[in-house]
Amino acid sequence: MTVLFDEPGPKARRRIRVATVLGTLAAVALVALAVRQFAANGQLDAARWQPYATWPMWRYLLTGLWSTFLAAVVSAALSMAFGLLLALGRLSDRRWLRLPAAAYVEVVRVIPALLLVYVVLFALPRYGLDLPLFWKLCVPLTASNAAAFAEIFRAGINSVERGQTEAGLAVGLTRFQTMRLIVLPQAIRRVLPSIVSQSVGLLKDTSLGFVVSYGELLYSGKVLAAYNGLLIQTYLVVALVYLVVNASLSKLARTLEARQSASLRRRAARA
Amino acid sequence: MKRLVAVVAASVLGLAACGESSSPAVPAVPGEPSQKGTDVLAKAPVAAAADILPGSTMEKIKKRGELLVGGSLDAPLLSQQNPVTGEVEGFDAEMGKALAKYILGEPKVKIVNSASETREALLANGTVDVVFQTYTITEERAKQVSFAGPYYTSGLTIAVKKGTSGIAKPEDLNGKKVLAGANTPAIPAIKKLAPQAEIITFGSDPECIQALKQDRGVAYVQDETLLIADAQKDPSIQIVTKPFTVDPYGIGLKHGDDQFKKFLNDWLKKTQDAGVWQGIWKKFIGTVVTGEAPQPPQIGSVPGS
Amino acid sequence: MSVLLDHLPELWQGLIVTFQLTAASFAGAAVLGALVCALRVSPVRVLRAIGTAYVEAFQNLPLLVLLVLAFFGLPEIGIKAEPLVTAIVVIAVYEAAYVGEALRSGVNSVGKGQGEAARAIGLTFSQSLRHVILPQALRTVVQPLGNIFIATTMNTALAAAVGVVDLTAAANRVNLIEAQPIPIFVGAGLAYALIASVAGFVTGRLERRLVMLR
Repeated sequence: MTVLFDEPGPKARRRIRVATVLGTLAAVALVALAVRQFAANGQLDAARWQPYATWPMWRYLLTGLWSTFLAAVVSAALSMAFGLLLALGRLSDRRWLRLPAAAYVEVVRVIPALLLVYVVLFALPRYGLDLPLFWKLCVPLTASNAAAFAEIFRAGINSVERGQTEAGLAVGLTRFQTMRLIVLPQAIRRVLPSIVSQSVGLLKDTSLGFVVSYGELLYSGKVLAAYNGLLIQTYLVVALVYLVVNASLSKLARTLEARQSASLRRRAARA
Repeated sequence: MKRLVAVVAASVLGLAACGESSSPAVPAVPGEPSQKGTDVLAKAPVAAAADILPGSTMEKIKKRGELLVGGSLDAPLLSQQNPVTGEVEGFDAEMGKALAKYILGEPKVKIVNSASETREALLANGTVDVVFQTYTITEERAKQVSFAGPYYTSGLTIAVKKGTSGIAKPEDLNGKKVLAGANTPAIPAIKKLAPQAEIITFGSDPECIQALKQDRGVAYVQDETLLIADAQKDPSIQIVTKPFTVDPYGIGLKHGDDQFKKFLNDWLKKTQDAGVWQGIWKKFIGTVVTGEAPQPPQIGSVPGS
Repeated sequence: MSVLLDHLPELWQGLIVTFQLTAASFAGAAVLGALVCALRVSPVRVLRAIGTAYVEAFQNLPLLVLLVLAFFGLPEIGIKAEPLVTAIVVIAVYEAAYVGEALRSGVNSVGKGQGEAARAIGLTFSQSLRHVILPQALRTVVQPLGNIFIATTMNTALAAAVGVVDLTAAANRVNLIEAQPIPIFVGAGLAYALIASVAGFVTGRLERRLVMLR
């Protein structure tokens, strides 16, 4: 939307520069004030940070990060598969498939993941179903993200022009073959960015392991804080790790998106 | 990644060094095993071959070569994972190791992290053999699991910020904001003794302590052992009452496995007679509670055990 | 079912807190999100960078981590507020990143000719944004905003981690006392579903109204 403004002229540029300097100064002053207060409360004492300069602490956190990845990858794979089935069910001609799939998506989409975690944590064991910790986190995450993925896939499938399906059927493919060979590959390519950003969201959701006491990153932080009593330092470090990891993933998503739109444009140019 | 981490850590350290150092007591690492008690398990008894009855739970464990214990990773002094070694340390954890040595001849234990209200189910479906996790014996619970022991008695008490007045007994909490750990027995206890108290819960002990120091609540109700450790780490915190509940901790096992229960009670008796129980107490709880180890509770003395 | 009636006062109180959290933090997120969007499409490079950094930071940190950090960390730099207020502000700041992105994609969906036309008749940047671009962008973002509202409702459940007793926390507490998880959690789930379906209904109506104007 660069049409909305002209390239700033010399006067505007000068004004912007002055405002930038002033704004930066104000921000720096504010941060300095906060840091000063933080230090005055003893939170910046070297001894409070020293543990996080040692390898064993990081080894422990990175082990937690690995568990986070594991839970995220397993939940993502399961919920994508389940979500695809739900999307296909919702688009099916058969009522007995369409209605339950729609009901599942509409209901689960709006229930907090935390509530689902509580159900798996507290309700299921009363009926003799006590899952291992890993699944106590993955099952509710899968259940809730499947609904989100179903909506993404459905949007993707709907965005593929009708003519594609009609053409597929016309050359004698079955409905299933048309879907698998013609519609889905195009649909998934179109919604790839949404899939990646939903997956980043899922990775963030694994922090619910905190509640389940599955040893992912945030829970590892909890154990560390209990061990060394450095609550604020520990959570700051944990936040930093999340930020670095997720920002890298988001960057990857944008690169994918850019490459994909570039290839689409190339193909359009060739056609 | 590793290099980035190192750079970040270094820069964070640099920042830390610039900070003013008007430090209010930097906490020492708790639960650091005192050197004198480290070989306490060496004295721990081993069961005679005849005690491992054929077809029993003990035999099953022996065949597996590992004892599966339901416990925590984040309970300092009782069952806290040491991030440096990966070992779980504390009174409960060490008792588990002593039991493993009794059955297997070596302290081979796998701790299954079993937070929250799922311990009954874990025992029922055989995910763990025993539970050592501040598992208070109650008649209600005894309908679903069996308890050996009790092996330790503790109780809830109240901590406040130093200089707080007007709180000397649980009833004083009425109408005040009281902190408690989420899903801990403190919540029903406060509800019973001070129904007008406003209970604020947090997920872990350090969070509750931080909240207390930041005046999010005037008092913090928690197990005495934990609070003693907290007060020792942080001089701005003070304990104001004797324990006002009696919580006998039992060893949880599968409901109705009387053979195993008797085996566990026999083991507990031998452990106490050999002074191992006292040694384990000294090694962990003794680092914050002064004096000699107390008299262990009478086995089978509690309804439900 | 009677367990729900027995504890109706607590659960009702929890529901009210959930309402407060949702309404206040979504309102905050809407205002802040519009600002973030304005930053991201602004002519000044520094402002654009700030907008991008904001979105990057808050879309990449788990809300649970932010809540815990804000609750325990802010008092250490001299800012202290009630748990409920802290939770509202944190959720608003967090969701604002998503609102900002939704609005921006809405702005990008408005035809380029609209912007050019607005500029051609001599409107300034903020005028063309306010009178021409945003009203049209709003139409395409009603649905995404509705989804963010539902996400906000669900995310308020995490406020329990910093001691706010919302619907989820209230349900959990009642369950600790009564040990009847099925009716309690199903009841709570239905309440959330109800909030979300009302939101869905409203956005549906709104979208139809706005589209008709075209």
